[in-house]
Amino acid sequence: MELQASLSLIAPEIVLSLSALALLLIGAWGGDKTARMNSIAACIAIAFCFAIVAPRVCAGVGGPDAVAFFGQFKADAFSGFAKLLIYAGSVAALLIAPNYLERVGAMRAEYPVLVILATLGMSIMVSAGDLLTLYIGLELNSLAAYVLAAFVRSDSRSAEAGLKYFVLGALASGILLFGMSLTYGFTGTTNFNAISTVVAGGLSGGAMFGLIFMLVGLAFKISAVPFHMWTPDVYEGAPTPVTAFFASAPKVAAVALLARVALEAFGTQVDAWRQVVVFAALASIIVGALGAIGQKNIKRLLAYSSINNVGFILVGLAAGTAQGAASMLLYLAVYVAMTVGSFVALLMLKNENGDQLESISDLSGLRSVSPVLAFCLMSMMFSLAGIPPFLGFWAKLVVFQAAVDANLVVLALLAIAASVIGAFYYIKIVKVMFFDQPSGVVLGKSDGVHWALLIISTLVISPLGYLATSWFGDLAQRAAATLFLLS
Amino acid sequence: MSSILIIVFAPLLASIIAGLGNRHIGNVPAKIITTAGLFISCGLSWPIFIHYLGGDVPAQVVPVLKWVQSGSMSFDWALRVDTLTAIMLVVITSVSALVHLYSWGYMDEDPDQPRFFAYLSLFTFAMLMLVTADNLVQMFFGWEGVGLASYLLIGFWFKKPSAGAAAIKAFVVNRVGDLGFMLGIFGTFLVFQTTSIPEILAAAPALKGASSIGFLGMRVDTMTVLCLLLFVGAMGKSAQLGLHTWLPDAMEGPTPVSALIHAATMVTAGVFMVCRLSPMFEAAPIALGVVTFIGAATCLFAATVGTTQWDIKRVIAYSTCSQLGYMFFAAGVGAYGAAMFHLFTHAFFKALLFLGAGSVIHAMHHEQDMRFYGGLRRHIPITFWAMMAGTLAITGVGVYHLGVGFAGFFSKDAIIEVAYASGTEVGRFAFWIGVFAALLTSFYSWRLMFLTFWGKPRWIQSEHIQHAVHDAHGHHDDHADYAHTAHDDRAHAAHADHGHDDHAHDHGDGTGGYHPHESPLVMLIPLIVLSVGAVAAGQVFKGAFLDTAAFWNGSIAYNEHLMHAMHEVPYLVKYAALIVMLLGLLIAWYGYIRNTNFPRSVAEQLGPVYRFLFNKWYFDQLYHVVFIKPALWLGRQFWQRGDVGLIDRFGPNGAAWLVDRGAVLAKKVQSGYLTSYALVMLLGLVAAISWVLV
Amino acid sequence: MRVSPLVDLSQYLPILIFLVIAAGLSAAFVFLPMGVAHLTGAHNPNAEKLSEYECGFPAFEDPRSQFDVRFYLLAMLFIIFDLEAAFLFPWAVSLDLTGWPGWITMMVFLFELAIGLAYAWKKGALEWE
Repeated sequence: MELQASLSLIAPEIVLSLSALALLLIGAWGGDKTARMNSIAACIAIAFCFAIVAPRVCAGVGGPDAVAFFGQFKADAFSGFAKLLIYAGSVAALLIAPNYLERVGAMRAEYPVLVILATLGMSIMVSAGDLLTLYIGLELNSLAAYVLAAFVRSDSRSAEAGLKYFVLGALASGILLFGMSLTYGFTGTTNFNAISTVVAGGLSGGAMFGLIFMLVGLAFKISAVPFHMWTPDVYEGAPTPVTAFFASAPKVAAVALLARVALEAFGTQVDAWRQVVVFAALASIIVGALGAIGQKNIKRLLAYSSINNVGFILVGLAAGTAQGAASMLLYLAVYVAMTVGSFVALLMLKNENGDQLESISDLSGLRSVSPVLAFCLMSMMFSLAGIPPFLGFWAKLVVFQAAVDANLVVLALLAIAASVIGAFYYIKIVKVMFFDQPSGVVLGKSDGVHWALLIISTLVISPLGYLATSWFGDLAQRAAATLFLLS
Repeated sequence: MSSILIIVFAPLLASIIAGLGNRHIGNVPAKIITTAGLFISCGLSWPIFIHYLGGDVPAQVVPVLKWVQSGSMSFDWALRVDTLTAIMLVVITSVSALVHLYSWGYMDEDPDQPRFFAYLSLFTFAMLMLVTADNLVQMFFGWEGVGLASYLLIGFWFKKPSAGAAAIKAFVVNRVGDLGFMLGIFGTFLVFQTTSIPEILAAAPALKGASSIGFLGMRVDTMTVLCLLLFVGAMGKSAQLGLHTWLPDAMEGPTPVSALIHAATMVTAGVFMVCRLSPMFEAAPIALGVVTFIGAATCLFAATVGTTQWDIKRVIAYSTCSQLGYMFFAAGVGAYGAAMFHLFTHAFFKALLFLGAGSVIHAMHHEQDMRFYGGLRRHIPITFWAMMAGTLAITGVGVYHLGVGFAGFFSKDAIIEVAYASGTEVGRFAFWIGVFAALLTSFYSWRLMFLTFWGKPRWIQSEHIQHAVHDAHGHHDDHADYAHTAHDDRAHAAHADHGHDDHAHDHGDGTGGYHPHESPLVMLIPLIVLSVGAVAAGQVFKGAFLDTAAFWNGSIAYNEHLMHAMHEVPYLVKYAALIVMLLGLLIAWYGYIRNTNFPRSVAEQLGPVYRFLFNKWYFDQLYHVVFIKPALWLGRQFWQRGDVGLIDRFGPNGAAWLVDRGAVLAKKVQSGYLTSYALVMLLGLVAAISWVLV
Repeated sequence: MRVSPLVDLSQYLPILIFLVIAAGLSAAFVFLPMGVAHLTGAHNPNAEKLSEYECGFPAFEDPRSQFDVRFYLLAMLFIIFDLEAAFLFPWAVSLDLTGWPGWITMMVFLFELAIGLAYAWKKGALEWE
């Protein structure tokens, strides 16, 4: 029966919904003292979803078998791949939060619930096969994210971040919704595959408007230039674990969603959106790099870094091919590892009272204070800069490869040239850590969870990561191929 | 024949250990390792040479590894041993081993001994690589390797500005030659489609005058242009007229280096190369004419300059230059065996002269100016007798009819005779030049001997000696060599003019109270061994080198007819060398022992000529005006206009400026105001839409 | 896939024309006096001239007065359940078409809303004091 098949396809989402509801009630009646337990339960729930999705990704599921609810929802390998990354990011956000939030007195039981709801929203986003599903997923994620950004209510910066994020997010949401309505109006359908069929013969002006509005709405979510303005402020203001979450999982979801809209719904009209994407890609790379140079706050710097990285991901999208989509997935995977690693390292910078340090100057001479931490952070920075032998190089390589194979040689060349600017501030951090006089403020100890996450991410992006590249590349290729299966 | 692997790679290994170990392993271990490595190489080389002396031994090639495989170009790293290589092996390893040993004493006070010995061994490895090359690229590797080692060793005392300048000069002048060599290699590959030396030599005779090639917009005979380009390389390395200017300056290096690199081995690489490629040159008569002419001209030029110099090492350096000229014109007239023979004997007696000079310098507390020597015969007798052997060898003392003579007698006479016997115009020219140069050789060599070992001591005028005497009164003498040699002869001359006697302790005998000491045993042993070579090398090996085609066994182009004609020249030609040698001895004796005012009056009467010679034919000045100044001007243009003004300004600096501006702008745009953020978003939206619509 | 026929937007052309005219006219009414005043009038502002004008009196209080946050809480809860009711009408009339799956889906939705209400209740969102 159709309904049962559909329900089995959305099993991870059902698990997430039920656990969110359950944890909400537990939190309400049990109070904030259940927060830690709830976090652990949330992790288990997400891990469970991970276990459901992983085999489907490995099997490369796609086509009609993976479609639920009459094309509204697609549990194919592409969405699965993105979900795995999202779950990884969410688990990291759950694991690193308690210590931080407890110290600022904001460890509430709602935190894991919000993270799960956001994860659920993202899960729906990447599986969207219809504009309505897209919107529901996006809003579910966004609403949870707004609250998360302002989670430390007592901190004015956190509140400001939440407010800014909400207002601008609402604006972007409105633009997106307008684009969707235009698209519906001019194509007569909200289903991606149906849109693809309708526009195959040519794109009417109205549908073009709709497409651009939708791209703009989604560009906000991935913080592509010029819709990135919220990013530095929100990333800086939000609690650090939340920032780590924002920088990893929702990026994956929004990028995957963007790929779905661009390649699945409008894949027959690549030329219509390519120029906009190319512009956004280059602008993101350059602005992300330039903006980071003047920063003194590491969180802000990482915000620009994420803008910069999104630019490279968009290079893969601009290719408009299955190879391009695969390269985006691979880049995202490496990006999540680098981002989580960087933010975990940032969380581990504490002074003797255990307070967080966020300034770049605090990193001075970290090498002599905590060599392992400095080494891991150095690996992250080199990897972000795309310097071999770290995995970040490979990520950039596959993206550029896809662009070159799609005859976008100039784009690839410009992106490579602009990546040099980015290398400057990444390597500057390394210089500060290794060659400057020790500032001697980084004294606080970190717990095992942080160390474990840091070491894992470092191992992933270390040269060891290259051992998995062929297997991982195959996986991404098969996942990306499912985008191009008509169902 | 795998001993060749040990011969070649023992110095490399020793060099790596000593070089990387440097101060961690200390002076003595570094010295022991490098010297032992060389003695092993030397010990293994002589059996090979003796084996080849028997004659009719075929060439052997020991492959080491695959090197290049690119399109039609493919060659291996292989060590080729034939007669020619065997000769070079014994020359290089013997002299190098002795120089290593000698340096124990000479460099004793130097703080950087491991580095020195590592360089020496590295040089030896590169030189061995050069002579065992089986293809032109490998030879070029060795060629550049010796150039590098030469650079490092000339500039060994890099704290001394003149040493640094000399090192750079040697490097740059050699680049000119190397460019020719490279073009020659490229052209050879272009024509023969291979870099393998045996294959090229096999194919070369067929191309004699048979093809032409476009070069610099002209059509010229292929073999001529190839050989001339290769010869330009040889000119650079062997300091032939035009590219010779680096060699005298190279004397800034420590004296053992001068003996090894700038007398016995590296500078002969050009001669070796011409001989190695002799079948090619035989196919290019015009090129051979040029080789003869340049060789003869260098021979004359260097000898004339040598007669006027005061620095003992420079005299020997010009002498080397001159002797290399002999070798080249021997090769030019087709007597490659004679050229190699002179190379062989020259290695012994010139190394001996340099090491002897080093011993004198050592005894005279690093004074190199012969005007401040004199009367040293009794103070350093062993050095004296060694130098005497060297001088007798270089001046070619020997009597044809008795069949006895010193090493130089057989080789130099052979060259002069063969030049006469060649019968060509340029050969006859070379003959006369050769005879005249022999006269000059005799003169400047005896002049050196007389100034140094005879007469009365003139030491008191030397600053070095004064320092030494002062130091002897007081504190411990720990002066390093480089601190003391930073005076060129002009400075000395100036000091002498102003009269140093004012404040010197004149003991009335010109010694200034200084007592020269004979050098230590480690320095004397090489002198004695080389003396044996200088005395006997000609006598023992002349048969093999000059008269036996079987000995060469095809490793060079052996012209049986020419070598036969050589023995048939008139007796006057055969005795010409001895006659002019005696004449030179007489003039030197008269000018520097009998009537010591004679040279000064001659110099005054022939003022312009003297100055012309003393200033080395004004080559350095000419080059300064013609090449260095324009090059510096051009370089400054490139630097200030091109590099700073254009590339830096719009390249790195411009990009950095742009990035900096961009960063400021990006920061400014990020105002923190919600409304401006929303505005930017909407502007972006509008821009995107207008872009798509337009 | 079902694709409904394209909407014929050309029928909306009169409205578009009307909109353009309206926008043009309103813009003219706003900017024309400003332009004329700027070109002809004297511009001598002082504090009195620039102060707010409210029926001949100075302003009594800040127009941006604050509401109690509990008001918003209740308002939001009201809107949620208001919309739920609006959602139930089409569901109810089409239940014969959607059948059991439709019924189950709505029950799930109501259940989720109920949990939300329970949470809000427990957190004290419904208590005014």
